[in-house]
Amino acid sequence: MNANTLTERYVHEVVRRIPTDQRDDVADELRATIADTVEARRAEDPASAEREVLIEMGDPIRLAARYADRPLSLIGPEFYPAYIRLLKVLLSAVLPVVAAASVVIDVLDGGDIASALAGGIGAVLTVGAQMFAWLTLVFVVVERSRTLERSVYGPGAWTPDDLSDLPETGRQDAAAYASAAWNSLLLALIVWQHVFKPYQADGDGIPVLDPALWSGWIWPILAGLAGVVTFELVRAAVHRWTVPLAVGYAVAEALFALPLAWVLYQRMFFNPDFLTTVNGGWTVPDSLYTIAILGVLAVSAIDAVKRFREALS
Amino acid sequence: MLLVSSEELISSQAQELRRGTVVLACLSLLKEPQYGYALLETLNDAGVAVDGNTLYPLLRRLEKQGLLTSEWNTDESRPRKFYRVSPEGSLVRAGLVREWRDLVASISRLTKEKH
Repeated sequence: MNANTLTERYVHEVVRRIPTDQRDDVADELRATIADTVEARRAEDPASAEREVLIEMGDPIRLAARYADRPLSLIGPEFYPAYIRLLKVLLSAVLPVVAAASVVIDVLDGGDIASALAGGIGAVLTVGAQMFAWLTLVFVVVERSRTLERSVYGPGAWTPDDLSDLPETGRQDAAAYASAAWNSLLLALIVWQHVFKPYQADGDGIPVLDPALWSGWIWPILAGLAGVVTFELVRAAVHRWTVPLAVGYAVAEALFALPLAWVLYQRMFFNPDFLTTVNGGWTVPDSLYTIAILGVLAVSAIDAVKRFREALS
Repeated sequence: MLLVSSEELISSQAQELRRGTVVLACLSLLKEPQYGYALLETLNDAGVAVDGNTLYPLLRRLEKQGLLTSEWNTDESRPRKFYRVSPEGSLVRAGLVREWRDLVASISRLTKEKH
């Protein structure tokens, strides 16, 4: 028999996808079955009959999956919801934080803003692609391994006892109001110290924060704070975080935290006159600024991630 | 707007209805040993429409579950794998036949036209 007939090529394509111990048997049976079917057509041209029969048998990958009793989907219905949910969290909450961190680190390293932003966009693309690829790979492996599947769901069947408690909406609403109040207070303080100049030095009132900020960086910071307050209030009104709300909150938080970190890093935060009178020659150590910068970024990132987790839970 | 004709809907729903019946038909026909292609012909002649690429893997699955046994017959020029029902397959067939009768009875009661 010519080893390179259509039938042989077809059989090879099928059996190489099924477990080794069944290969020869399935191959022999398939060969006989295809030959039987072709013969039954009593066609004048056996070659074209063979072709037709193979077309009816269909895609070898599909047939092999039936023989091996294997799913034809990369990620089946059982794991699809968990996969999508995790992918959303990674791409919408974790990725922006990573990208923002990349921009901040570039800037802290002394890079200029333009190249730092370019680096941030690069980070979004490469880290995003990595997240997508690895998450997908993990789920495909889980889908394909029955033992892992059992370990994920535990040995027992699901019972109503597995249901988690309902979130205590009242307490969480209170937390949202508290956060809104605190951020409003912060916003008011910033405006107040600039307008009313409460700090007295040599009989004159001077602002605590650098007045030069008011021709630039203070605006995104204030807008971010206002955004945070708004989203916290909406959250309290609808009693839970939704994904769009959490996205809005994260944007507002970034609008607040990134310029603030930049201003702190550039030592443009305090009014130099204020520092001179307050410190009397003592200069604020650099380590304090570093701690403040990292603190602002960490708290903001954690807050944003928390909102997403609540939105998706 | 509905883009699928009612004929198409009927044929796709009918396919769902038939899906489980192929096993019962195989278990019934394979009291006598039979090889793949001949069984396919018999089924199609009997009005149980099934494709080869569904039937052949199904036979192996039933064999793996212990409902069928198989044997290679090399008497003829072309060696063929013959399947037949195992004792356990007969028990399962009896159970499925009961289920089928109950189902037919229930559905005919449900679908009886009211006068």
